[in-house]
Amino acid sequence: MDARAKLFLRRDPYDAAGSAEAFLCAVRENLAWHAARNPAYRRILDAEGVDAGMIRSEGDLARIPVIPTLYFKRNRLFTVPEGALRVGAASSGTSGSRSFVAFDAPSFRYGLAMVFFFFLRHHVLSPLPTNYIVLGPRPDRILGSGSEEDTGAGAAKTAYGTTKFAPALHREYALEITPSGPHVNEEGVSRALLRYAKQGFPVRFVGLPPYMAFLLSALRENGVKLRLNQKSKVILGGGWKQFASREIDRAEFAGLLRETLGLGPENLLEFYSAVEHPIPYCKCARGHFHVPLYSRAIIRDPVTLAPLPEGRAGLLSFVTPLMTSLPLLSVVTDDLAALRPGADCGCGIPTPYFDLLGRAGAGGAKTCAAEAAELLAKEAG
Amino acid sequence: MGAPASFLYNDNNPADMAALAEKITETLGRGTLPAEAVVAACDRLSRRIAPEEHLPALLALGLTEQRARDEIEIAQTLLSRGWLEARLRTEFPDGIAEETAFVPFASADGRQVRQRWAPLGVLLHIAAGNADALPVFSVIEGLLTGNVNLLKFPGGGDALSEAILSALIAEEPLLADQIYVFATPSDDIAGMKRLARLADGIVVWGGDEAVRAVRALSDPDTRIIEWGHKISFAYVSERGGAASDEALRGVARNICETQQLYCNSCQGIFLDTEDDGEAAAFAERFLAILEAEASRLPAPADPFVQAQKTLELRTAELEALAGAARVFRGAGVSVTLYGGGEGARLLPAIGYRNTWVRPLPRGRLLGALRPYKGHLQTAALLCADAGAGAGGGTGAGSPPEPGDRETLERLLFAAGVVRITDGASMSRAYCGEPHDGAFPLRLYARRLSVLG
Repeated sequence: MDARAKLFLRRDPYDAAGSAEAFLCAVRENLAWHAARNPAYRRILDAEGVDAGMIRSEGDLARIPVIPTLYFKRNRLFTVPEGALRVGAASSGTSGSRSFVAFDAPSFRYGLAMVFFFFLRHHVLSPLPTNYIVLGPRPDRILGSGSEEDTGAGAAKTAYGTTKFAPALHREYALEITPSGPHVNEEGVSRALLRYAKQGFPVRFVGLPPYMAFLLSALRENGVKLRLNQKSKVILGGGWKQFASREIDRAEFAGLLRETLGLGPENLLEFYSAVEHPIPYCKCARGHFHVPLYSRAIIRDPVTLAPLPEGRAGLLSFVTPLMTSLPLLSVVTDDLAALRPGADCGCGIPTPYFDLLGRAGAGGAKTCAAEAAELLAKEAG
Repeated sequence: MGAPASFLYNDNNPADMAALAEKITETLGRGTLPAEAVVAACDRLSRRIAPEEHLPALLALGLTEQRARDEIEIAQTLLSRGWLEARLRTEFPDGIAEETAFVPFASADGRQVRQRWAPLGVLLHIAAGNADALPVFSVIEGLLTGNVNLLKFPGGGDALSEAILSALIAEEPLLADQIYVFATPSDDIAGMKRLARLADGIVVWGGDEAVRAVRALSDPDTRIIEWGHKISFAYVSERGGAASDEALRGVARNICETQQLYCNSCQGIFLDTEDDGEAAAFAERFLAILEAEASRLPAPADPFVQAQKTLELRTAELEALAGAARVFRGAGVSVTLYGGGEGARLLPAIGYRNTWVRPLPRGRLLGALRPYKGHLQTAALLCADAGAGAGGGTGAGSPPEPGDRETLERLLFAAGVVRITDGASMSRAYCGEPHDGAFPLRLYARRLSVLG
């Protein structure tokens, strides 16, 4: 019996208390699985003297060797033969590099089940016929191109996939890939929106935040003022990343949303996930990412990577036993965050939550040597 | 200090742009602004720079306070009369304004020709996203050579550069007609093309992406002067004696002071050896020296940068378990040793005092570094008979050959390096030094010839 069954098939994604033992059990099983089949991962475990038997309590989770997401962008660490890999997940292509991450069939099944229950909980699943604005390019325009890292096909696939959660009447795409680069399909989207508003069905916008912000700004410039069905949703995942220089304020975003589409913050669903950590997180009504029972979040010291107490800011890392295809058991992202107990939020979700504080990196202090270095890395890679 | 009305232009306004084109034509028709006017204005400005005002911006970049103060002092020096005049003398030995008259060799009719320097005309400076006042120095080079200067700021604007240029115009109002500043975003292709069409030359600071973009948007009749991104390193040969602590401390000091941020900062050390054991011993020795320098030169830590470096270092350590690399960690510093075939690659250091050592025997130096030719800049060369580089002669490896230093200089230059120094001087410029293998002022000028 796969210990994951007791975790990923649960109906309430936030029943961490009721599933604590199942979580530890699945973690031990996952660790032992990779240790027995993956010599490279075994070397990592041995270097830190860790084995499955040592994971007896939640406090032991931080001892599992933590692997930066960067590692998976540069190295293949698969536990199962590549022939057993079913679904590849490309990273969003922020810096042109993609991760070597893929699902085997069981991991994908458990992942899908998890997403189903999770979306059900957040009312993403709906039987109502829905019109869509996909904040990305048509996936069929890029899927065959063979070079996913250039086009952000991973993000587009995800956006397209999200249109399956409520029956689609029509999909309009906000991005056109032209020979000179991506081009915002303002006209098509405006036309579709007018039609959608008249039809009166719920409308869903799915994709990444920057596209939504661009779209809303364009709508305002054209004086568009609509009142969409109040069951409409703006479903956003990923971050601002390469659009950071144009990041708009959350309040400004909410204002634009209200003004152009007649939607409020309750219509906005913001997700967090990572290719190297394929677990969904959704902002609660109070704007916090609560940790579902599929994972544990550990904030780590930005220098030593040692676990930090609640409330302290550090690197956001996770433990999850979802993946058997490769050891994504304990990964550290390049996001900085702080973790607080669920009760501090007050939204009613009992599990701890994290707030994102920024992304590790040189920020504005990027200089010629750093850029030359990146360039050489690209050439040599 | 209020900027003159003509200072910041909106290139999205065709009427503005037409007026600007007319104004530039008028300025060009008035003749060349003498270099003396520019030198005098810069010199007056250099005396007015207040270090305390600019310190925070440099500290935010991660420099040590000493280094930041040095940078400001350097800026004052670079703007001083003595420095600017010496530069002009180096690049234009006959004088930038002087006319030379002579009868050409093998002239058929014995008639005299006259030659002199003249500005290129209009220079468009496209500044990189660096947080230093680099765009100002680019514009000053354009001014010294008599050009009208259009400056496109990087994305978020550049308050420091803008303030300095305003102050410069306040010193010499004539400069108002020679400096125009734009905030055009780089991805506004139409706007950039409008700017490019006004220019006789485009000075581009930035990576290959920026250079490629400028080549694409400019007409073939426009000279492009590229100051691309470069990478620098140290080459240490211990033939005939171990490198001295003092020489290695110089390299370590450069790494700590500059945080490996600059084009001329030391990224890592190539060691002239085949022997991985020797390289490991060297890496450990250098780690101790680097650690000592780092503790002497504490640097303000940006937690976001620190976190990034932690992740990279952790990744390198995990990778080392599978490969031929070893990570030596010290307090706030690290040295990654790449053995085997990895030695022959010039790859980025993690930076911020996380450096590398790669064994690269001289026999393979040229072949290994040639692929990076266009991107090489400074090499700190530490070897026997190099004065500062020669050690106590404890006899590591074989004895030095006569002319050892010349041999290694020749190899490094042949590989594409344009500047050789000792470790401590890698990021220190001297007056009249060529930049990335060229005399920049000459690139902003034309040599005119008049017959009859």
